[in-house]
Amino acid sequence: MFIARSEYDRGINTFSPEGRLFQVEYSLEAIKLGSTAIGVSTSSGVVLGVEKRITSSLLETSSVEKIVEIDRHIGCAMSGLQADARSMIEHARVTSQSHEFHYNERLGVESCTQAICDLALRFGEGAEGEESIMSRPFGVALLIAGFDEEGPSLYHAEPSGTFYRYDAKAIGSGSEGAQAELQNEFHKSLTLDEAEVMVLKTLKQVMEEKLDSKNVQLASVTKEKGFRIYGDEEMEGVVGRLEGN
Amino acid sequence: MDALVAQYSQPSHSAQDTTLDDSLALSSKIAPPLSLNFELPPIDSHSAWLRAMTDDHSNPQCPIKIAHGTTTLAFRFKGGIIVATDSRATAGNWIASQTVKKVIEINSCLLGTMAGGAADCQYWLAYLGMMCRLHELRHKRRISVAAASKILANLVYSYKGMGLSMGTMCAGVTPTEGPALYYVDNDGTRLAGNMFCVGSGQTFAYGVLDAEYKYEMEEDEALELGKRSILAATHRDAFSGGFINLYHVKEEGWVKHGFMDTNPIFWKTKLEKGEFSNVTSKLE
Amino acid sequence: MASLFQQSMPSTGPGYSFASAPTHHSSSGPRQHAFYPYTDNGGSTLGISGATFTILAGDTRSTSGYNINSRYAPKLFRIGGDGPENEGARIVLSVVGFAADGNALKERLDTMVKMYRYQHGKEISVHACAQRLSHILYGKRFFPYYVTAILGGLDDEGKGALYSYDPVGSYEREQCRAAGAASSLIMPFLDNQVNLKNQYDPASGEGLEKVMRVPEPLPQETVEQLVRDAFTSAVERHIEVGDGLQMMIITKEGVQETFTPLKKD
Repeated sequence: MFIARSEYDRGINTFSPEGRLFQVEYSLEAIKLGSTAIGVSTSSGVVLGVEKRITSSLLETSSVEKIVEIDRHIGCAMSGLQADARSMIEHARVTSQSHEFHYNERLGVESCTQAICDLALRFGEGAEGEESIMSRPFGVALLIAGFDEEGPSLYHAEPSGTFYRYDAKAIGSGSEGAQAELQNEFHKSLTLDEAEVMVLKTLKQVMEEKLDSKNVQLASVTKEKGFRIYGDEEMEGVVGRLEGN
Repeated sequence: MDALVAQYSQPSHSAQDTTLDDSLALSSKIAPPLSLNFELPPIDSHSAWLRAMTDDHSNPQCPIKIAHGTTTLAFRFKGGIIVATDSRATAGNWIASQTVKKVIEINSCLLGTMAGGAADCQYWLAYLGMMCRLHELRHKRRISVAAASKILANLVYSYKGMGLSMGTMCAGVTPTEGPALYYVDNDGTRLAGNMFCVGSGQTFAYGVLDAEYKYEMEEDEALELGKRSILAATHRDAFSGGFINLYHVKEEGWVKHGFMDTNPIFWKTKLEKGEFSNVTSKLE
Repeated sequence: MASLFQQSMPSTGPGYSFASAPTHHSSSGPRQHAFYPYTDNGGSTLGISGATFTILAGDTRSTSGYNINSRYAPKLFRIGGDGPENEGARIVLSVVGFAADGNALKERLDTMVKMYRYQHGKEISVHACAQRLSHILYGKRFFPYYVTAILGGLDDEGKGALYSYDPVGSYEREQCRAAGAASSLIMPFLDNQVNLKNQYDPASGEGLEKVMRVPEPLPQETVEQLVRDAFTSAVERHIEVGDGLQMMIITKEGVQETFTPLKKD
């Protein structure tokens, strides 16, 4: 439990005297409670991987959805409050389709990320012209993977509305350990197959349960196949390639 | 729906500080939103005004001539759906184009056809394509043809009386429905059926199609019938002509079967099959 | 609308959905409308695309009724680019019809193309710009811009790209297009010279053996000469065309503008 730092941490759009927005900072903490999600970018495409926390043997694992499609060429993995991600993803989908409608071309991955982040700060009382849509910041972070004319790219979008591009990034509860692991393992000449294994290997290290093909989920974005969530057989194949499994 | 109608039946200027609102309207359009804000003329009776400006049916001297599309047909048979159109667009008596693509590829499994105002059809079918894709993303399965046509029908219904002009057919094959064909027009009519012809050449196309149509046709027969029906329409309807655009919609998606010049097809049909024998020719 | 429905069959198929289209107009002489926000400023534009270039051209006369109000009112505009002169632009818009609407349309498209660059960090492609223009025009579906627009540029492969529009935004990519007052004089000429319509290979035989000539992209000098011929001929036969010929040639080097005087009578 956090102890309230000051009276400033209750106003969502009031800076503390030290210049901090506590509610936004707390929202970053919410992500650290979420399941781990990892993204790795290679020259031929981006791999996304998440752990599914199977809290009960009665849980239908396919209903745990932590990787979703935004458009044919963009997908995203999430960590944090799942429900918050829904409105962000809906916004990204509509933005992407609206762009295609108006410009007859696919939305760039960076522009898509920017659109999501524009939404992130629309909490509080609402500024001029823009209606406020939430009473608090989002409690979810996204890894946005895509392939556009610039090639493959991976972005990390935070509830604070900032985003950065990464070669490899981990978010969620195991992010610290996983990020260190990615730092050691990542190199520019990774193939997509190697990246798939690397994502699983990293997840395996930070997961509490024993990794199998049911409690993790992989997806990839490539030029040829676009965004694709791996099916059961494909998952088993990749898990099989993982040493010691 | 009523809210939509109310929104569009208000004169846009009624409570407006023009300079400020215009710049706001423009800035909101720079990052195009999904809202459909159409500008309206600053008068009460826009539809009457729009008719006076653009409807060359009731007013041949109208200043703005809008391009129109013409003969289109689609029919179901055992192997799927055949969609065929001509390619002529006219603005008054002027042939604005002979190469219009009147079959609009909504997505890899859904086709729309274009009769009536070319811009209306192009815009709203592109809009429909976007809605279908969003449906697909939200529901994780492809939209049914019934649902797609209903989106379009509801949409044009909300603009009823505003002056849209479109007669369109939605054709597609989905696992749940099989081959499905719907007719949607600007009045808001939406009909499911086996066979439709739409446009000024529709009667001529129906003539051929009704005479020769059988559900149990083979694919090549069906394609030939689609082509022949459009040919008949281009021959007797002055507003139809140009090229024959032919598509076959199957379970796996649609296949394009050419964009063929009518003139050589006409002479081939006449000279090799002996049809159109009322046309005299001394071609030996 | 006459295109779709003959007078004899008003009730079949999709009609204009105005329930009570007036039918008395022919007997009551020319109809007066209190609200008439348009002026036809005459003039003509044309565009031809080639393998590595696109040429847009327009005369510079501005008329109102039978009065000539200006001898230099350009109908061609660079879209995008930098500064007030839009330097470095790769897309050209031509508009003919009502010049005020044309200017408003140009300003709006130009703003959007520039905003696109700021938002997406890249130059807009012609085909994206073409779709955008279509939707700008359609945004005034119920209060149309009185203009016929032609948009030119180079596509992603570096080939000439030309898009033509009707006043409410239906559009098509074409090899060539003439618009405006003299379009009915120029377009048949272009059909013949550029698209080689109804021309057959003389060596190919008779009847069904006849083989159509296949249009090939024309070299730049030929196209420039065609444009000049088209306009000098149109000036001879149309009162609203004349004074000057403004041409913009879009190549991978940029937009080159030329001006050729036309008859001023």
